[in-house]
Amino acid sequence: MEQTTAEQAYFMEQAFKMARNALDTGETPVGCVLVYENKIVGHGMNDTNRSMNGTRHAEFLAIQEMLRSYPKSALRSTDLYVTVEPCVMCASALRQYQIRSVYFGCGNERFGGTGSILTLHIDPSIDPPYPVYGGLQRQEAIMLLRRFYIQENDKAPKPRPKKHRELNTNFDDDPVASVDEATQ
Amino acid sequence: MEVQDIIRGVQPLVGEVRPIKTVQETQPAEEYDYAYVAEVNVKSAAKVVKVLDAAIPRDPARPMNHLRRFAKQSNLPKHLHPLLLGDNASPQSIFVLIPPPLPEVELLQELLAPFTLPPTNPSDAQSQPHSDSNPAGQVQKLHLHTVKVPTLPPLSASQANKWSNDLWPVVYNPAAARATVAPPVQVLNRTREFIQPDAGWYLSLAREVAKESYQSGRGRGVGAVAVDPEIVERILDAGGDMEERWADAIVAVAGDARYSRREAGQPSVAERHAGRGPNPVTQRYDADLEGGPDLHALMRAAEIIAYKRRVGDPDAENDKPDLSPLEEYFIAQLDSSALELKAEETQDTDTDVTPVPEKYQKTGMEESHPIHITSSSTSAPQGESSTPVLRIRPRAQGGYLCTDLDVYLTHEPCVCCCMALLLSRFRSVIYPQKGRMVSGGLASEPVVKPVPVSGSDSETEREGTPQQPAQTVSDANSSKSREYYGIHWRKELNWRALGFEFVEDVPQGEIAEDGIAFYA
Repeated sequence: MEQTTAEQAYFMEQAFKMARNALDTGETPVGCVLVYENKIVGHGMNDTNRSMNGTRHAEFLAIQEMLRSYPKSALRSTDLYVTVEPCVMCASALRQYQIRSVYFGCGNERFGGTGSILTLHIDPSIDPPYPVYGGLQRQEAIMLLRRFYIQENDKAPKPRPKKHRELNTNFDDDPVASVDEATQ
Repeated sequence: MEVQDIIRGVQPLVGEVRPIKTVQETQPAEEYDYAYVAEVNVKSAAKVVKVLDAAIPRDPARPMNHLRRFAKQSNLPKHLHPLLLGDNASPQSIFVLIPPPLPEVELLQELLAPFTLPPTNPSDAQSQPHSDSNPAGQVQKLHLHTVKVPTLPPLSASQANKWSNDLWPVVYNPAAARATVAPPVQVLNRTREFIQPDAGWYLSLAREVAKESYQSGRGRGVGAVAVDPEIVERILDAGGDMEERWADAIVAVAGDARYSRREAGQPSVAERHAGRGPNPVTQRYDADLEGGPDLHALMRAAEIIAYKRRVGDPDAENDKPDLSPLEEYFIAQLDSSALELKAEETQDTDTDVTPVPEKYQKTGMEESHPIHITSSSTSAPQGESSTPVLRIRPRAQGGYLCTDLDVYLTHEPCVCCCMALLLSRFRSVIYPQKGRMVSGGLASEPVVKPVPVSGSDSETEREGTPQQPAQTVSDANSSKSREYYGIHWRKELNWRALGFEFVEDVPQGEIAEDGIAFYA
């Protein structure tokens, strides 16, 4: 995404706040907000460790929050700002919820459903396609993920020791390698 | 009807469990890219490899081991002869391949210059513009030729031959080729054999769960049954009869509940439908009334299991799913096989290691082999044989997501739910073939029905009236307009599961793909 407006930058920053919350609570640092009529109507952060449910991604939490106050049809006029490209699951869900458009930070070379692995936002489907705009504050999104993945996941049955991992602060413009590492 | 009566009334479906091919198998990708070829001195081959490997990093995600690094003149494909051999090639030469991603030309020139051959005749030397500007006359300017190469390993010997003749010499390694496109055959077969005997029961119960959702008006007629293969193993090890005890291995059931959510504080779609019985909105697809994938059967199964994994966590009660009678019944059941195991343990304390079925779940190419795992018995501290053991092992005892469970569904799940099952780490997924959906994410090719066994002579006999048999075949093979994702096993995805379709001997009811298009 080449030019971002001040509003877009603001909403993305709110998504990053959610992602940082996630990192602070031991969750994969992915955060998002839903914006309807220029107002944030849903927040989400990854919640898989706490809930013991691998499907509790930020997007689902945000949508469920929004639906407490708005009908599903409002999603047709709603934009999603999310720090990482939606995964295959979320990309399909957003299609089913008929989101208007999606703005994301970094790509997701392991699970990405809106361009990286699959192109679910535009594939033939029984619901209309939606546009995606990637690359908003991409480096910050990757740094958050890197920070998370040098930690050990003590929620996993057999945490992998990561004593020798150091935070990589290098950005030699190799998005693949960085997100690769981040989404292992 | 009482839940136990429903379970007693279940009649198993009769049919065959068949693996769903991977998209790598059904849509074999032939991807090509460009490589460089350079002529070097045959005596320097070993040094050339060393120099190239040291200076040029390889992308481990794109192994090029199937491409031969060197080709002798005699092994070069015919079409490259004019390009590479010219009129009189030196017998001293061999051709080295530099596969993609391609390094800088300047770097290659520098690396390979010491290993080039002197020109064989003056005219050749003149054709290389910089060669005579070098006063020493020793180092030759290297010619880098561009050739097309296949970037994926060949999947058959004949493909390998074709490429070797038409593109560049390749190596065919059957095991390596399969590992990149599909789960190992032995793992797939073993799991299929494990699933086959009881699949009919679970799929039949899934239909009962679907019926409950549909009849109550909470959702569409889609159901899921999650089974723990570890419990099945324990029952079998203890000499149990699965015909009697199939239901004992079920950890959770879940029905579709897409009409049950109250949006914006308004009554749900289910509540708006006055009276009992199926909701009339099931007869069409209106996105506004479809709830969302988080209310689909498979997602709800993951949610229900997650809830039970958090037994003892006070916070979990806030996340308690809204359960139907069938759903409520199954998550309350105790693990009778664990009780038996404990009884055995009290006699022989050395047997507290439970073999776990071989699992196939992996994160990288290099680990694409079955992993034998053995887990310690998770039963409660010794001497407390009265402690109830839940079928869903709580987090405190090592339970994690839906790891290594099998899920039986009435329909092919939507793309969203397919990825949800991978993220939940299910071991395998099974649905009846006639439950395929145009919106599904597992099938990898259209259903190919066997062509009626009529020899070619019988066809000629009937040449006058061919309509009827021809019609039948084309109908059976007609492919619905849909995508074939094969999400269960894609090489790009970090998690994979085994996918199976259940082909009923005598299919009954309608084919879901022919009905209303919705997401299951």
